[in-house]
Formats: sequence, C-alpha cells, structure tokens
Amino acid sequence: MTAIKVENLSKTFKVKVKDKGLKGSIKSIFKPKYKEIKAVKDISFEVEKGEIIAFIGPNGAGKSTTIKMLTGILFADEGNVEVLGISPNKERKKLAYEIGTVFGQKEQLWMHLTPYDNFKFFGAIYDIPNSVAEKRIENLKMLFELEEFMDTPVRNLSLGQRIRCEIVASLIHEPKVLFLDEPTIGLDPVVKENIRALIKRMNKELKTTIFLTSHDVGDIEKLCKRVIIINHGRIVLDDSMEHLKYNYLNKKIIEVKMKEKVNLEDEPGITILKDKGYNLKIEVDTKDKNVADVIKLLDPDKIIDINISNIPLENIISDIYKNEEK
Amino acid sequence: MLMAVKNQARCTFLAIKYGIVKEMLNRVSFITNITFMILNNASMLIQWIVLYSLKDNIGGYTFKEIMLLWGLAASTYGFSHAFFYSSFKLSDTINKGKLDAFIVQPKNVLLNAITTHVSSSAFGDLIFGYLMVFIYGFSFKLFFLFTFFTITGGLIIVAFAIILGSLAFFMDSSELIADNGNNLIVHFATYPDGIFKGFVKLILFTIVPVGIANYIPLQVLINFDIVKFLIVLSLTIFFISLACLIFKLGLKKYSSTNLMSARI
Repeated sequence: MTAIKVENLSKTFKVKVKDKGLKGSIKSIFKPKYKEIKAVKDISFEVEKGEIIAFIGPNGAGKSTTIKMLTGILFADEGNVEVLGISPNKERKKLAYEIGTVFGQKEQLWMHLTPYDNFKFFGAIYDIPNSVAEKRIENLKMLFELEEFMDTPVRNLSLGQRIRCEIVASLIHEPKVLFLDEPTIGLDPVVKENIRALIKRMNKELKTTIFLTSHDVGDIEKLCKRVIIINHGRIVLDDSMEHLKYNYLNKKIIEVKMKEKVNLEDEPGITILKDKGYNLKIEVDTKDKNVADVIKLLDPDKIIDINISNIPLENIISDIYKNEEK
Repeated sequence: MLMAVKNQARCTFLAIKYGIVKEMLNRVSFITNITFMILNNASMLIQWIVLYSLKDNIGGYTFKEIMLLWGLAASTYGFSHAFFYSSFKLSDTINKGKLDAFIVQPKNVLLNAITTHVSSSAFGDLIFGYLMVFIYGFSFKLFFLFTFFTITGGLIIVAFAIILGSLAFFMDSSELIADNGNNLIVHFATYPDGIFKGFVKLILFTIVPVGIANYIPLQVLINFDIVKFLIVLSLTIFFISLACLIFKLGLKKYSSTNLMSARI
C-alpha cells in the first residue's frame, strides 16, 4: 500500500536580486530584477505504508521544499502529489487529519502553556472529544516519558523535553504519516538516542509511516531502511540502507599500532590518512587490495593493536553529494 | 457543516482564552496596561474640551457626540486588538514563514493565524468605549447598538489589517505599508467626518473604510436609521469576504522560510 506518491514534482521560487551597495538598492527600487531558483526539479518517488524513509541532502538541496509540498504548505508548480490518496493542496483540511508534522526549527507549541494544556489545545484542533484526548495524552505521556514536566510551562523545558512534546503534539490525532523535518537538530547525543528510540517504537507500535529529513547520519543509520538523497533539487539516489552500505562501503579504515615503523607509501589501494611513527591510520580500497593483504604487508608479528572499521556513512553521503556536483 | 463551524469556534475560543491567560500571567502588568490605556484615551479628550470652549459645533457634532465618537473609536480598536491582535502582525507572520504551523492543521488558516495573540491594553480601550456610553447617556437601545457597532467596526478594522497584511504574499517589505494603513484608520476614526470634504471623504468611505467602521455607526447611534444600519452590516460582510478572498489568493503564493521561530 502506497502512503506517499510523488510524480514529476517541481517548484521554482522567484527571488529578488540587487546590485551591490546603496546604488544597487536605489536601482532595484526603480528597476527590480528577479531570478528564478529551481528548488525542486522533476522528482518522483513512492513511500509504502509503515516505512521509515530518510530524505536527505545538503543545505538548499530541496528537502524542506519537498516536505512542505507534501504537507500542503507550498503549492507545486508542476507534478502530482498524493499522501494517503489525498491531494495536499486540494484537500488540505482532510489531509491534515491524517498527517502529523514536526519541524525541528519551528515550534508549534504555545510557550506559556504547560504540555498538558498544549495537548488539550491540539486535541481541540483535531476535533477529538475530551475523554478520548485525555486517554491519548495519558498513553503518549507514558510512551514519551513526560510525567515529570507535564505541568511545567513549555518555555521552561529543555530543548530535548520540548522536542518530545512537539512530537507528542503531532501524534495526538494518531496520524498515519508523520513528517519529521530535522527532529534532532540541536539535541545532545543522549537525547538524540532517546528520540530515535521513541520514533522507532512509534513506527513499530502504531505502524506510522515516517518521512524523515535530517543532517544527522545517526538518525538515518539507526532509523531508516530506505534513503532518498536529493541534491540541487534532483534525486541522486533512492536505495535501501543495506544497498547503500554495500555499494559504498568498499573502503575500510585500518588504525594500527606497530612495534616498528612501516612504510606503505606508493602501495596501490592504500591511502595514508595519518602517520605518527608507530601509529598509522590508513584507508584501504578493497577493490584494489583486500584487508588480509594489508595485514600481511604490515607484518602481523609487529602489530601491537589493530582496529578495522567501515567508512562513516557521513563520508559516503558527502562523497555522493560531491560526485553529483562533478 | 454545522459541526465544522462548532469545532472551529471551539478552537478560536480556546486560542483567545489561552492568549488572555498569557497576558494575565503578569497580573500587575495586565492591570497597569488596562488602566493606563483608559487614562491615555481620557487625556486625548482634553484637546476637544479646549476646542469646544471656543466653538459649540465642530463638523456637525456637539462635545457629547464627540465623546461618543471617541468611545466608538476606542471600542472598535479595542475589540479588534483584544481578540485579533495577530491580524496586525500578519505581514510578519507571512514573511517569517510562521503560517506553516496553521496550514498543517485541519482548521481555517486565517482565523487560527489572527487569534494567537491578545493585547491587554486593548481591553482598556474597550472599557473606555463603554464608559463613554454611560457618560453620553445610557439606554439599553444605545448599549445594544454600541455593542453591535463595536463588533462590526472591529471586524472591519481586522479585515482591513488582513488585506494590508496579505500584501506580504505579493510584495517585499510590505510591513511598513501595513503599519501605516492600520495607523491611518485609527487616527481618522477619532475625528468627526463633517470636517472632511470631497476626495478625502470618498477615500474614508472606500479605500480606508473608517466611514463604515465608525462614521455611519456614530450617525446611527445619534439618530437611528435602519437603512444605514443595514448598509453597515452589509459592508462589514463585504469587507470580511474581501479580506478572506485576498488572503486565500495570497496563500497560493506563500513561499514559507526556514527561519528558526517559536510560538511565543
């Protein structure tokens, strides 16, 4: 079953430009100049019900513009969008009952109200009878561990507590699809981990489809089974997390502590990342040289300690961005 | 349909209630704001006392009628700012991408966007307006009509603010135009229409609808006229519909932003 269907979606923004300085400002009053920025160019994809998908890309790639078209905030110039079979622009209100949104950079909660009052307000927004809203608040309070600060005004909460409340507010009407736009922005690692666990639990227990944009590789790696990478408004990769790792993890990082100095310069398939005498950090391209050969080259008898790891996903994604730019 | 209206009314009522709760968090500031606004309005009448000591009739109105005019100007301003304060900040809401939160909710975007803030000092204006009714000469008929025109006039001011605020959808830096326009309607409301002639008067009954919000209602309050009463009612509906239409057209051009923002 398809939850989100996007066909040939495009969006262009008209932006005012002006020449430098005061002269440019005066000129722009009488003869304004505009340029067109194509934020999203002819993208198509589908998301299945119950899926957790990562929609990632560098700043200005078109992620937020796409998510805003999917939620009905922006009107598309061209193409077709359907979320749960509903057109976001034609049936905005109908869709709003079915989806939830969390924008990490924009808060929807009333700062002077307590989380409880906020949730009650959101209950009214979604026409939920009081008794039902109370039950849902109680369940979500347990799931997201909000007991401690349910009666504290939102403005006095920590960022992590606030984000948890934002997510709860967007879940009060039990949405079938949840759009999370950088939900862990600005959070410390422990809170990030908690939020991720909660998102995973929510997907498992409530079968919520989750459409996630994030710059945090941890979010993507730990939550998503599928990744769509967008750059310059185009989709550059739409693949499963497994394939992404398999296809791009042909490089290994070896950190080794040696008894003696060793020279690996000019060896094909090996790039020296750090050389501090007895401590060495190298990158091995397994297409040219396998790890066993490298260990042989190092001489196992002279190795005191060794650590072999995959290339961080962060580097893989940035390589994909760079290759696309070339 | 009826259920949808009921649910929307419930949300709007809650938003205004929470707005008032926020203003009342600081009790001293809340009461001080209201008291000073009443005193501020009262001080404005001093200039009229001086003028009426020189002349019995200005622009066709006696001093008592001018007090009623000030009362109506204050109460319409108070009604609009007390309950729909955010309509005067609509340009900012649009420019900073703050409409996003309202668009993703299954309710009327405009109504939700203009009821998020309450101005405590505006309650002072409302109280001042009713004080003027008592000074002018209380009667139930006057009280009812005054309340009716406070609502219609307040809604016209709000509709005017929405039209000006919606310019932000179509042009850059429209905040100043909106601010000036909103100030214009307030300032003109405190003068009797009899002192304006020709083109200026035409403007005040069309582009800047202070004539419909304040001047005609004042005439009805002084001498009841059913035709004028119905004209005010019809034009109020017209201005509200126009504001909704312009906002709806603008919403299609809304471009949002990624600025960090909080609902404070």
